[in-house]
Amino acid sequence: MLFNSIGFAIFLPIVFLLYWFTAKKNLKFQNTLLLIASYFFYACWDWRFLFLLTFSTLLDYYTGLKMQDAENQKAKRFWFWLSVIVNLSFLGVFKYYNFFAESFAESFSLLGIKISPWTLSVILPVGISFYTFHGLSYVIDIYKDRIKAERNFVDYAVFVSFFPLLVAGPIERATHLLPQIKKERKFEYTKAVDGLRQILWGLFKKIVIADQCAIYANQIFNNSSDYSGSTLFLGAIFFTFQIYGDFSGYSDIALGTARLFGIELLRNFAFPYFSRDIAEFWRRWHISLSSWFKDYLYIPLGGSKGGTWMKVRNTFIIFIVSGFWHGANWTFIIWGMLNALFIMPSILMKTNRNNLDIVAQGKFFPTIKELTQIVLTFGLTVFAWIFFRAENLSHAIQYILSIFKNYGSFFVLDNYLKYKIIIIITSIFILVEWMGREQQYAIENLGLKWNRFFRWSLYILIAILVLLFSGKGSTFIYFQF
Amino acid sequence: MKNFIVRTTLFISIIIAIFIFILSLANGYTDPFYLRFTTPKQDNLILGTSRSAQGLQPMVFKRFLNRNFYNFSFTNAHSPFGSVYLNSIKHKLNPNIKDGIFIVTVDPWSISNNGVNPNDTTNFTENNLVLANTNFVNMNPNFEYLLKNLSGEYYKILMPKKVAMFLHDDGWLEVNVSMDSAAVSKRIKAKMEDYRKNTLPSSKLSSVRLSYLKQTVEFLKLHGKVYIARLPVSPQMYEIEQELMFDFNDKINQSVQLSDGYLDMTNENNLYQFIDGNHLWKESGKLVSQKIAEWIKSK
Repeated sequence: MLFNSIGFAIFLPIVFLLYWFTAKKNLKFQNTLLLIASYFFYACWDWRFLFLLTFSTLLDYYTGLKMQDAENQKAKRFWFWLSVIVNLSFLGVFKYYNFFAESFAESFSLLGIKISPWTLSVILPVGISFYTFHGLSYVIDIYKDRIKAERNFVDYAVFVSFFPLLVAGPIERATHLLPQIKKERKFEYTKAVDGLRQILWGLFKKIVIADQCAIYANQIFNNSSDYSGSTLFLGAIFFTFQIYGDFSGYSDIALGTARLFGIELLRNFAFPYFSRDIAEFWRRWHISLSSWFKDYLYIPLGGSKGGTWMKVRNTFIIFIVSGFWHGANWTFIIWGMLNALFIMPSILMKTNRNNLDIVAQGKFFPTIKELTQIVLTFGLTVFAWIFFRAENLSHAIQYILSIFKNYGSFFVLDNYLKYKIIIIITSIFILVEWMGREQQYAIENLGLKWNRFFRWSLYILIAILVLLFSGKGSTFIYFQF
Repeated sequence: MKNFIVRTTLFISIIIAIFIFILSLANGYTDPFYLRFTTPKQDNLILGTSRSAQGLQPMVFKRFLNRNFYNFSFTNAHSPFGSVYLNSIKHKLNPNIKDGIFIVTVDPWSISNNGVNPNDTTNFTENNLVLANTNFVNMNPNFEYLLKNLSGEYYKILMPKKVAMFLHDDGWLEVNVSMDSAAVSKRIKAKMEDYRKNTLPSSKLSSVRLSYLKQTVEFLKLHGKVYIARLPVSPQMYEIEQELMFDFNDKINQSVQLSDGYLDMTNENNLYQFIDGNHLWKESGKLVSQKIAEWIKSK
């Protein structure tokens, strides 16, 4: 069930009404309802994968309790590693097995030895990377004595499978979400309205920006040999906005939906394309994943405490793993490595924590220096996205070479009218995002002080734009991860 | 909570009302087919593919035959002879009419199909297109059509009306393109290359489609007179069609025998102008319509 589907438009109000009316003031009933709704939501993708989700949930719930009750460190360690190994094995089998088998065969073919790899023909269970990381963070936190194991299975299962975050995050932490699940929740009008507003903005990002940019990004990337360098450059820009609109739009809908149920999820995006360097970009892009890797990989590896060499090594490790997390393809690994390379100068010069504030805070225009930094950072990001989007490494390299070599007609695309509309709407979108960059999401405060008529007119305009471009029901990019 | 639900319901109702209003603004500029699904059931029909959609002008027929005609032709992908088109014609035709006039245009492509087995009906392109997915063909505004076929592109309804194609209320699709000789030659060259490279090699006569041509004529005969016409095309296009089916007239002979007459206009190919070798220019379309109308009148 997609967030941008009629099915979800029916599902959400039903669950909302049951949650606040039927189950009101009964926390157990509310959580049970959320669990049933979440499992139904997941089953709409493929009911067979419910078994995997249930098994993963039971495993982490059980090993969490066992660790909690372990009489000695050895037993605790046993249950910890059992959980980690089984979780990663599932991820390995479903997501990475074919990649390793094929890469193994390819490396032998370079030596002239032909091997036919035995590959699995299974589809990737949607959201597996997300709920596996949920479970892992829970188990690691118990092992490190940061939290106590959850004894109520329903509460724990809601933490893992809460439907707004189940298939594409944000990747939650038990320390943040579990206390909210266990606490009585009261309906708050302002929070619910804010949730709807964020859902509306998320739908706008997905349907009006991402899906429309996708039309040209796909056309150009899929037929890259037919286009001039300038058009290929434009294709990379289209993809840059597509992936931002798609993923941050999803996150906005997830956060807004959770807020309707009185639950606050972790922020996942903070206007990353206005970053002044790559380090800042990674503090603003897919925040829940970046912070997960920081807390559960970078810091355990020694973080930045062991001198420059260790910092460089650890940075490369987390970016490569982050790339690999996205998918079993060399393009993602190179994308991760490129980002590690881009961030390296600021790490070596110890300037990676220079831009912790919001760019041009309190002002409308950035300084020339800030603008230059934003454009340069954006350019590096666009370059890296080419690897992320390309079919394989040779496609990515060919694409990049053609941008610089293959001059020709300027921006040659079919359907000029639509292309013009997308450029205009995207430009307005960038302006609104810039104006709202000090908020949690761009339209959080936009129009709040206006007369109700004008404020409603603004929301109606956004909603109508969403409807005018809607109907294709295209899936979200991050569902494949 | 009550306040929230009331306001949310009001907000959603306003949005739905505005959206419905926008949908109701759809017209002949929205897309090349929409209006054909919004008019009432018809007594006299012009049927065929894009050649007749663009070439045959109902107003010309009205002038000569003193009755309203409706052009219910689509494209070779949408309306070749088959069950999908026949069913749609049945929905569009006034079931009580007994003295209607029906002009069925034919060409080798509309009785052919691509693919290994040209009679594999599951592989027919029209199965997934507008005629197959639109059950209501006489509803105005036709929300079924718009929701199913304009999804993702509803914004087109509000776009400036400066597109090259305009669908008239009588179903005629007017196409306005540059007719200077260089532009025409370029379009003809591109069209012929496309047909030679892509369409001709994959097309084969489909006996299923041929049978549906016959069934269409048989059905229409129950409601009036049926005239079959083969419209003129550029000499280059005719050459390709001859390669595909040199004995086309023999192939459709059974259907012709059932009809009230057959007019093959391919011997007049040099007399008309075409926008791309395949479709008549609107001025030539007027002349061709007049000629067919006079021929029917003389019958």
